[in-house]
Amino acid sequence: MKVIAVKNLNKRFKVKVKEKGLKGSLKSIFKPKIQVVEAVKDISFEVEEGEVIAFIGPNGAGKSTTIKMLTGILYPDEGSINVLEINPTKQRKKLAYEIGTVFGQKEQLWMHLTVYDNFKFFGAIYDISEKETEKRIEELIELFDLQNIINTPVRNLSLGQRIRCEIAASLIHRPKILFLDEPTIGLDPVVKESIRKLIKKMNKEYHTTVFLTSHDISDIEKLCKRVIIINNGRIVMDDSMSNLKYHYMDKKVIQVKLRNKVDFSNVKGIKVLKEKENNYQIEIDTKETDLTKILKLINPENIVDINISNIPLEEIISQIYRKE
Amino acid sequence: MRKYLCIYKSEVMSNMQYVLNIIISMITYIVLIFILFNLWNYIYQDENQIINGYTKNQMIWYVIITEIIWSATAGRKLCQKICDDVRGGNIAYAMNKPYSYISYILFSHLGETTIKSIVGTIIGMFLGILFLGEFPNISVQGVIIVIISSILAVIINTLLITSIGLFSFFIEDAHPIYWLYSKIILILGTMFPIEFFYGILGRVISFSPIYVTCYGPAKLFVDFSYKNAICILMAQIIYLFIAWAICYALYRKGVKKLNVNGG
Repeated sequence: MKVIAVKNLNKRFKVKVKEKGLKGSLKSIFKPKIQVVEAVKDISFEVEEGEVIAFIGPNGAGKSTTIKMLTGILYPDEGSINVLEINPTKQRKKLAYEIGTVFGQKEQLWMHLTVYDNFKFFGAIYDISEKETEKRIEELIELFDLQNIINTPVRNLSLGQRIRCEIAASLIHRPKILFLDEPTIGLDPVVKESIRKLIKKMNKEYHTTVFLTSHDISDIEKLCKRVIIINNGRIVMDDSMSNLKYHYMDKKVIQVKLRNKVDFSNVKGIKVLKEKENNYQIEIDTKETDLTKILKLINPENIVDINISNIPLEEIISQIYRKE
Repeated sequence: MRKYLCIYKSEVMSNMQYVLNIIISMITYIVLIFILFNLWNYIYQDENQIINGYTKNQMIWYVIITEIIWSATAGRKLCQKICDDVRGGNIAYAMNKPYSYISYILFSHLGETTIKSIVGTIIGMFLGILFLGEFPNISVQGVIIVIISSILAVIINTLLITSIGLFSFFIEDAHPIYWLYSKIILILGTMFPIEFFYGILGRVISFSPIYVTCYGPAKLFVDFSYKNAICILMAQIIYLFIAWAICYALYRKGVKKLNVNGG
């Protein structure tokens, strides 16, 4: 079942442009120049129920604008959006009962109230009865392991604990779709990992569809089965994570320490990334040459140490951004 | 309605952390009352002198009540919050919750106002008794009506300041409008009752928000009559609807223009 359907979506912003210096400032008072920025250009995609989907792109690509249109905050200029059979532009309040949002850089919890009082507050906001709210709070305490912090004021929590509580609070009304905008930003690797585990667990236990944006490639690699890449307002790739990796797996990186120097300069399909004394880091395009040929060229008896690895996903995604 | 009461309750609970700060912030209020007390003492040379229908005691009690309402409303902070919400994009996070942003602002601000009003009323009553030695001649029913009228005054004031804040959707900064509004209220309503202004100005003020946001409750407190009470409460109810409609219209028009920073 499709939970999100977006067709030919466009969004433009009007931005004031000012020439440099005092003269420019004065000029802009009497003759303001307005530039139209196309934030989102003709994008279309669909999301199935229960999917964990990554919606990624470089800064200013149009990710947050798209999320804000999907949640009814921004009005699209053209195109149609259907989220859970609801038009977010016309029925924002109705949609709010069905979706949850966590914006890593913004707090939605009341800083001076305890975690428990915050959960009670969110229960009331979503019209959940007192008894049911209590039941759900108990569930969330267990799922998110909040026993030790449930009666602590939010202002006294660490960033990791707060994000955990933000996600828990956004689940009190059991949303069908959860929009996570950079949920792990600013967290240390251990806390990041625990947040990822929670998202996985929540997707499994409640079958919640997760729409995730993140600049942290590990978030995407570990959580998502499908990736949509957006750049300059356009979708440049919409594919499964396995396909994404498979298509770019024709490139390998070899780090090798040799006894004697080898000349790689005229070999087709090889790019020397680093060279220092007898240590080399080379990139092999397996479509043009294969590893056996390279190993023969190096000569196995000449090798002191070797490491062959795939190109990191981060590099793959950067390459896609750069191509655009 | 339960959700809005919960917003109100949460704000009251949150503000309870700051009772000491609120008491300290009342120092300005105490200083102002002291200055006005001395000013009116100087103007009124005789205890029984009446200026524009007000005795000295009535005049000072009038100022105490209007100052309680004005300082409890904390309009500058409210306007600042809405401007920041609109310009900084925080409004987006309130918009994807199932409540009305205007009601959210109103109830959360009333929560903040509650503690300030209680502290302000205690200090104001104490100063009044200390300086003047007597309470105005008003019945218990009269006091209840004054409290109702004061609450309505705070609500109307909150909605009008919210409207000013919502202008941030259309102009870069709504603070100059708020500055103008606050100074007009201060001079034409808080420090002097409407009776001090003659001719067209007096008539304009009696139809303006000043009549319902500060003059009304203070006038009832110092010179209570049921006829005045009905007039003031009716005007407040009419203004309540007008202020709500302005807020709602500005908000509806404004969100369509929303351009959230950073996407």
